[in-house]
Amino acid sequence: MTTEQVTLFFAQLAIVAEFTVLVFALLVIGGLFSPAIARARTLAVQTIAPAALGLAFAVACVSMAGSLYFSEVAHFVPCKLCWYQRIAMYPLVPVLGIAAIRRDTNVRIYGIALAGIGALISSYHVLLERFPSLESGVCDPNNPCTLIWVERFDYLTIPTMALSGFAAIVVLLLVAGRHESSRVSAPRGKESTWQSTRQPRNGATPVTTHAAGSSTSEREQSGSGVASSRS
Amino acid sequence: MIVAAMVAFFAAGSNKVETAAGIEQTRPVTISGTSLPELGSGTDNAIGQLVPEVTGASFDGTPVAIGHDGRPKLVLFVAHWCPHCQAEVPRIVSHVNQTALPAGLDMIAVSTSVDPAKPNYPPSTWLSNEDWKWPVLADDDKSDTALAYGLSGFPYFVATDASGKVVGRTSGEISMDEFDAMVQKTMTVSPG
Repeated sequence: MTTEQVTLFFAQLAIVAEFTVLVFALLVIGGLFSPAIARARTLAVQTIAPAALGLAFAVACVSMAGSLYFSEVAHFVPCKLCWYQRIAMYPLVPVLGIAAIRRDTNVRIYGIALAGIGALISSYHVLLERFPSLESGVCDPNNPCTLIWVERFDYLTIPTMALSGFAAIVVLLLVAGRHESSRVSAPRGKESTWQSTRQPRNGATPVTTHAAGSSTSEREQSGSGVASSRS
Repeated sequence: MIVAAMVAFFAAGSNKVETAAGIEQTRPVTISGTSLPELGSGTDNAIGQLVPEVTGASFDGTPVAIGHDGRPKLVLFVAHWCPHCQAEVPRIVSHVNQTALPAGLDMIAVSTSVDPAKPNYPPSTWLSNEDWKWPVLADDDKSDTALAYGLSGFPYFVATDASGKVVGRTSGEISMDEFDAMVQKTMTVSPG
């Protein structure tokens, strides 16, 4: 099994991640203008949401495995920016793994923060690869960040793959937990009917929030817990 | 899509680069003399210092020497994987093809820091594709020539006068005006 083959495999997984992000973005943007797309978006969210934490965990695992393969097996020495991206990606593996097992959707804010920072670093790294003079006109003889170790399909470099992973994790975390109290309904005009369930810290009754378009009659109460509604 | 990825993954072949027989990307070098200090950001203490003499060979084994032979020299250190070198080399080739070097000036490239795992390997193919027609010294696998010349970053220029003394050094991409200024410096004679 050659490095080229493994690189191709990870590159194709990155394309799957990019496709997911693109479809999500199109559904969100299209849903603002089309009730039909909004319904499709709600259906997609309901379908993916139960598995979203697990999928985000899987993306983090594959990303970490890829980065370890490139450095430890292929011997591509990680540069400074690669290390910063690792700092953002590696903690996501245990954090999202534990959250997936516990079905703890409170992890979203922490996960999105980490993945968002990682995505920003990856974006800068990708820019630096394309425009090496952004940082300086000199190559560090030891390990410059401008070095493109691998490139597939004329654009997929290692930081591009990392960016795909971070973006997919952000999208999956945005979706995670949105199925438990959401409902499929046609939007009224441009209103969003998204709902999400926040798990209270004491693990008691879920608190339902209405992103928009909620009314008093739609507020839910469950068990002995106190339900609140925000619009 | 994942299935498609798996199929392509197992179907993909190796892209190992083959080079012609007799072509070596690194060659042994013999260095004599005092090494230059590493180029820093302040005043260059190497100005006026004699450069180390290097004897070695090009990729194809043709002998190449950088010594004190009475001819001014412009020595350009490049790494095949460095994007700045990849940008600078064709610029220099085009510029020198248009303006020509002063008579008596030797321009020599030193291919160093060679790593088969890094991009744009092998350097012999790269420089050939860029129509680099001036002598190339293939540094050894420990980059000893680069170390002896005080390289701090790529691309790296060392300009010497006819007596073999350093008249200028620069690290990183340079404009063609700066290149011409380096060429002019080689044509001056150092005092002493």
